[in-house]
Amino acid sequence: MNRSLVILLGALVLGVALFGGSYFAGQRACRMTRSADDLSWLRDEFHLGDAEMARIQKLHEGYLPKCAEMCAKIAAKKSELETALGGTTNVNPVAQQKLAELAALRAQCQSQMLQHFIEVSQTMPSEQGRRYLAEMQRLTLGFHEQTESSMSESAGHEHHH
Amino acid sequence: MNKENINPDPGCAGGFAEASDARLGAQLRESRVSPALPPRFQEGVWRRIEEAAAPVKVAGGITWLDALVTLVLRPRLAMATAAVLMVAGALLGVREGNQMAHQDAQARYLAVVAPNSLR
Repeated sequence: MNRSLVILLGALVLGVALFGGSYFAGQRACRMTRSADDLSWLRDEFHLGDAEMARIQKLHEGYLPKCAEMCAKIAAKKSELETALGGTTNVNPVAQQKLAELAALRAQCQSQMLQHFIEVSQTMPSEQGRRYLAEMQRLTLGFHEQTESSMSESAGHEHHH
Repeated sequence: MNKENINPDPGCAGGFAEASDARLGAQLRESRVSPALPPRFQEGVWRRIEEAAAPVKVAGGITWLDALVTLVLRPRLAMATAAVLMVAGALLGVREGNQMAHQDAQARYLAVVAPNSLR
């Protein structure tokens, strides 16, 4: 191979290595230096001050045990449902009851969660609070909406056919 | 250094000696064998001169590559390019890292306040 070509290719490889190395070093350094706090996203995204963060921290700490309690209840009910469904080929009355109880627990948990989001949004400046509430509803309830929407679309297609 | 005059009577015999030298010189020139020049000798000489004066051409016609390599290997340009690449890479990495850290933080908050079983 031509000597000039080898030198040029070597320079190119060196350039790519320099760029790539700096890119990954910068990325890593940035991710490592950012705070690992659970609430750091709120502070950054909604530009909150120390006083607002202190109030949110208090609400957050009050909410977490309730959330954990509801999660434990939901997990126990799921286990009961699996037991009721175990070995059967149809949905028996016990399983139906467990499904209803599970749904009720999930609804209660979601309601509690939304209440927490509303309380947190009220500690923020009004514009930021509205944006926070909309964002949290989109992130937590939007998943079901997407699933339902996609399922109703596919069902609609089938009906047309 | 002075030349020694070997002629005892320069005034009398000077003309004879000069004539004798001229005749000897002519005889020497005639006796010297000068080979005949090869055909188109002069043309060949000019051709060689032109070839020597012309710029060197590399086989394959890739002189632009050599020129590029020469340019790339200039120390100041090479250092400047390396510095620009490093700074650009680091800036892009920091920007990307910020976005990723932001997404990580959002996911962490959501995982705490809205467990997957609810979503």
